Amino acid sequence: MQKIRPPFVFDENLNSSFLEELFEGDTNYAEAVFEDFIKDLPVYWERVETAYHNRNLPILGTSVHTCKTLFGYVGFTDLQELCQQFENKCSVNSPEELRVDYILLIQRKERAQHIIEKEYARLRLFNGDKD
Amino acid sequence: MKISCIIVEDIQIAADFLRKFCEKSDLVEVKGHFLNVMDALEYLDRERVDLLFLDVEMPGANGFELLDRLTYSPMIILTTSKTEYAFNAFQYHVNDYLKKPFTYKRFIEAIGKLQLQPAETSPAQQLPATQTDTEFLFIKADDKLTKIRKDDILFLESMRDYVKFVTSSKNYMTYSTLKNMEEKLLGQTFLKVHRSYIVNLSKIDDIRGNTIYILGNQIPIGKGHKEDLEARLNIL
Repeated sequence: MQKIRPPFVFDENLNSSFLEELFEGDTNYAEAVFEDFIKDLPVYWERVETAYHNRNLPILGTSVHTCKTLFGYVGFTDLQELCQQFENKCSVNSPEELRVDYILLIQRKERAQHIIEKEYARLRLFNGDKD
Repeated sequence: MKISCIIVEDIQIAADFLRKFCEKSDLVEVKGHFLNVMDALEYLDRERVDLLFLDVEMPGANGFELLDRLTYSPMIILTTSKTEYAFNAFQYHVNDYLKKPFTYKRFIEAIGKLQLQPAETSPAQQLPATQTDTEFLFIKADDKLTKIRKDDILFLESMRDYVKFVTSSKNYMTYSTLKNMEEKLLGQTFLKVHRSYIVNLSKIDDIRGNTIYILGNQIPIGKGHKEDLEARLNIL
């Protein structure tokens, strides 16, 4: 008798119910998206860092906005909220006033990156086992 | 015939999702993906499409600037992760507004809306060679969008919050009103003959008294509709 395989369960730090709806059980596609995220985020984040160091707040806001969208595709709903708050502050605050928020954002982004790397590895393993 | 579209989106993951959803639906054909407004405009100067999936915030010009520069009016679905653009979206008469990231279910809802509000200004209407909206329609039935040739419809019957589409081979129920369908179908071969019925005039077999017969189905003619009916028939 063929054994029924339990479905992939996303990390508790991610919005798993949304991810399940988004990927509809297609873990291979989830793996591809997580891989793209790992590849794309550093490119987009570099724009954030450049804009912050150049004190270019409009570009900083737009760059964080892009990262916010990217976080959504891997289930970081709470981080999206933080990005949105930061984005809003870019239009009213000075770089000095944004410093604490910026450091917090970096910390959260690094944590998110770490979780996604682990999750990607788990997905690869899951999909590899399936094949 | 599928709805032709382009995707204007600077985030590759978001564009890939959209393309995947279009392919999965089998209703929308992606003619191209552009990472910025200028490249999209260059394409739209040469080619016409039925639908734009348009991101708002992109490097350089934003999505609304693209709409300002367009020389015709395709259907528009805005894709953005900001909700603040709702008012602009309203002003630009966009057909729907998808907040990224969105699911396939939400995508299908948006495509369904396009079919229920056929574009007054869609290029399909402007270009005689692609008059797709006159040949068929899509109805949402059994959790999917079903394509029906208008010519296959015998009649429509109002069933409270639903409308039943009767064709020679199958019946379809969709959540809508007869009034909504009236706006989409009248003026062609369809005529409202009763508060609960719209008939395809070309399918009528005969009329006896106040009853229309279509392939064995009996449809009552309502008071006040008989004159309209007689005016539309080729009575010798």
